[in-house]
Order: sequence, then structure tokens, then C-alpha cells
Amino acid sequence: MNASQQEYRKPLQWGEIDPYRRGRSHVGMWAWLLQRVSAVMIVIFLCLHLIFTYKPYLQFLLLLTVIFHASLGVRVILLDFDLVNIRHHRWLIPWVLGFGLVLFALAWFVIY
Amino acid sequence: MQNNHLRTVKIFRYDPEKGGEGHFQSYSLDIPQPEITTILDVLLRIQKEQDPSIAFRFACRVNMCGSCGMVINGREGLACKTNVAHLPSGQDITLRPLNHFPVIKDLVVDMSPFFAKYEDTLPFFEPIEQRSEPYVIKPDTKERVDIAMDTDCIACGCCVSSCTMVNNHEGYAGPAALTRAFTLLADKRDALFEPRLTRALDSCYNCRTEFNCTEVCPKSISGTRAIKYIQRLAVTHLKDIKPLPPHPAEEKAKNDPKPKAAEPDTPCSCKCHELPDPSRRAFLKSTTGMVGLGVAISLTGILGVSAVVPTLADQPAQWVPVGNAASYPVGSVNTTMITYKRKQAIHTETVNVPILIRRDSEQDFICFNSSCTHLGCAVSWDPTTKRFECACHGGAFDVDGNVIAGPPPRPLDRLPWKLENGIIMVEVV
Repeated sequence: MNASQQEYRKPLQWGEIDPYRRGRSHVGMWAWLLQRVSAVMIVIFLCLHLIFTYKPYLQFLLLLTVIFHASLGVRVILLDFDLVNIRHHRWLIPWVLGFGLVLFALAWFVIY
Repeated sequence: MQNNHLRTVKIFRYDPEKGGEGHFQSYSLDIPQPEITTILDVLLRIQKEQDPSIAFRFACRVNMCGSCGMVINGREGLACKTNVAHLPSGQDITLRPLNHFPVIKDLVVDMSPFFAKYEDTLPFFEPIEQRSEPYVIKPDTKERVDIAMDTDCIACGCCVSSCTMVNNHEGYAGPAALTRAFTLLADKRDALFEPRLTRALDSCYNCRTEFNCTEVCPKSISGTRAIKYIQRLAVTHLKDIKPLPPHPAEEKAKNDPKPKAAEPDTPCSCKCHELPDPSRRAFLKSTTGMVGLGVAISLTGILGVSAVVPTLADQPAQWVPVGNAASYPVGSVNTTMITYKRKQAIHTETVNVPILIRRDSEQDFICFNSSCTHLGCAVSWDPTTKRFECACHGGAFDVDGNVIAGPPPRPLDRLPWKLENGIIMVEVV
């Protein structure tokens, strides 16, 4: 057959026909993706918070999402400015999230 | 006994003569020693023993050439470096060509998009001065330590395949190309610092710090580290960066409302300096604007409705107890503070106001709102002059609340009152 009649298959996309892709994806990607999702959730919770004021469960969720989003943001800032050696990037995620959780607990028990 | 070592190997098959989407084909292979059997061994054995039509690339077999990059059980890697024992034991061996590259046949991909982006970052060394003797960087200098092992890149394409950004952003050169740019940017002997930095900065902000490239690199190079280094160079070299001259297509778009498709021989194939399709860009711009406007309007609407509308509505009146009627002697005028809660739009406030109570007989009370009718200061009862006096502007009211001096335009407001079980109540807003 003539080579010109042969066609390349269009590029495979990330995760396309890839049975083990999601199960074996890396932690840094989840950090980025969950930060994006939490950004959308902050907008939703903030609107709800302004409409239904002083609802403790709503405040709890809003504070939790804000702290989660901010912790992962701190991770990116630390890496951007080389304040943490980049080889520790995997450990940075549980550390910043743990630190955020402590802050969250402190803030919550000071308010209530 | 033999069946204990039997593993299922699924290999992605695409036949260019048949076309289509491609599919996985399963093979069973006896692998008695998975610790010392590489994926490349598996492929060679299947090709030799079962199916000679499988196509894949390899050359050096020792992690040096970067030919055999592929997706092995969901992670990019070199077939010659990955042992069967490295894979999770419960999973079939699944081999698939690299992402984001056109597939030529089976596991063989066309790497030309990779090298097109590679060339955009000016991946060659251009000496500042010609020397007759070798000009080396000393091993212990900071720049050499910074560059580290990043010059070891074998351009296997694993990082570009693992990156979720490189295929969705036309201008993004990708981890491998930016790592190459970084090794030259950190090199003081190189003359092309400014154009290379300008090009690298144009694309390096598409990195989302996911570390996929770092995790999969068979040479343990961190593309993320290189990209972060370039981003930090922007801070220290802000004044050195000069914008590249606009591409001719940009000029054309300004004059011609319906420009033709981009020219075939563009100097930058990653399309970072060229207008890919002006109508598309204009469409994206206007869509982004419309979406932003929509979000702003709806947010303002929600906030406006929740914050402003309740203040426009009439406040509900409420009865508030003032005190025991017995504590007000007949013929006296007293001032009593009352406290009640008022719901105001999105928050509840606690109101603390004085009420003026005049008792004429057992059953006759007059309750005045203490707020001066002029500007709302609290008036107080002066028992010597028998007048209500306002301290702010000298307003004065007689015992019935009528104006006798000063600027107030009307008598003091009277509040509805009632007696309930000997407790006097007033209606307030």
C-alpha cells in the first residue's frame, strides 16, 4: 500500500483508553484539581453565606473550603519562590493541609 | 506450575492501513522472573513468539536513548527501564503509546510536535566569545549546581505525555523544552539569554505545578523545577525582557476584517507569537467578556436582592415591655431605657432607646418617642422647667410634646401603648 494513503491516528488524549490512569495518577495533580474545585465551591458557599446569615453549618463549610483552598495556594507560593526544596513537593501537600486544618480548628473553636 | 507465572499483556494496536480508533489486544505470556524482566523483554518475546506484527521503538535497551517511551499501566516510562515487578501485582500489563502525539502504528508515535516545540525554545548553545581553549563552568559554582542533572534529558517525551496542560495550551512548550531552555538560561557563557527568556516566559506560566512531568521522568529530572526557575528569572530580569516584534498575522488582522488562515511557514510552530485564528481569538475574548458580565450581574443581583430589598420593606412593629406600671407615680414623667432586637436586612441589631413615659392617672399614660423630631437626638425631661429639652439644637417641647422652642418641625411622636397584667408595653419598630 502507498504510504500516502496511510493515516496517523489522532493523538491519544490524557487518560483516553487507559484503564489504570486514574488509579495511578500523581498526588500533585489532585492538589491542583481540588484547589480549582474548591474555588468554585467558595463562590457558591459565599453567595449562600450572604443570603442565609449566621448559619453555623454554612459557616463551617465555607471556612473549611476557604482554608483548604488557601492551604493549597500556600503550597504553590512556597514552591514558586523556592522557599521549600522542590524535592519535598509530595510531603508538602499533607503538611500544608495539616497546618490548615489546625488553623481551621483554632478559628472554629475561638468563634464558637 | 507454569500457570503461576502467566501474565496477561494488553497492547494497544492501531493499524494505519485500517485506520479507526485502535484497540487493546491481549496476549498471555509466561514471565517466570518478573524482577529481572523488563517491559521491553516482554514486548520482544511477544513479537518473537506470538505476534510479529507488533510495532514499537527501541534502540539502546539501557535507559540512554529515549526511544521506548510509552504509557505502562497508566504511567509514562521507558519500556527498557520498567521491570514487570515494578507494576502493581494485581494489574494486567497494559501498554499504550504516549499521549498527545499522533500514533503511527501500535506503540510508535510521531514525535515531530515534540521537537517543533523543542526548537521554539532555541535549544542550542551560542557562545558569547570565541575561545581557543575549552570554556567550562566549574563544578562547584552555583550555576552548575542549579543546572544539576537537567542536561541529561533524553527527549523521550514522557513528560509531555503526562502533562495535562501541554495539549490544551497552544503556546505551551512543555516540560522537556523548558528544561532545555533552563539549562541554557542558567549558563553564563550563552549569548541568547534575552530571546530565549522572552520565549520561555511566554509559555512557562501555563504550568499548574502538578508535578506529573517530575513523577514520570525516567532520568529523574524535574521539569517543574526548571519551569519555576524560569518564572523566578522574570522577577530578576524584568527590565531585560523586550517583547518580540508582533507577528505579521497580527498586523494583518488589524487591517483585514476577514484574514486568511495562518501562513504555513511560521517561524514559531508552537504558535505562541502568532494569531492562530483571529476570529477565534475575538470570539473567545467576547465570550469571556460576556460570561464575566453575566457573572457580575447575577452576583450583584443576588447581593442586591438579599441586602437592599429587606430595607425597603416596612419593618414589622413589635410590642416591647417597658416596666411595671406601679413604678410610675401618677403625674410624673419618667425616662426608661428599653432594649429589643430589630431584624435589619441581613443582620439583627440590638436597639437600646430611651422612652419617655408620662402618667396622668391610674389608666392614662402617654408614651413619647424620645427621638427629637428635628434631627433625632434623644430629648430629656427637665423637671425644673417642666419641658422636654433637646441638647443638640436647643429644641424644647412642653409636657404634651408640642414644640415651644427651637427648630423641631412637629410635636414629639407618641407611641401606642397598652397595659398587660400591670406591665406597660409600647409598640416600636
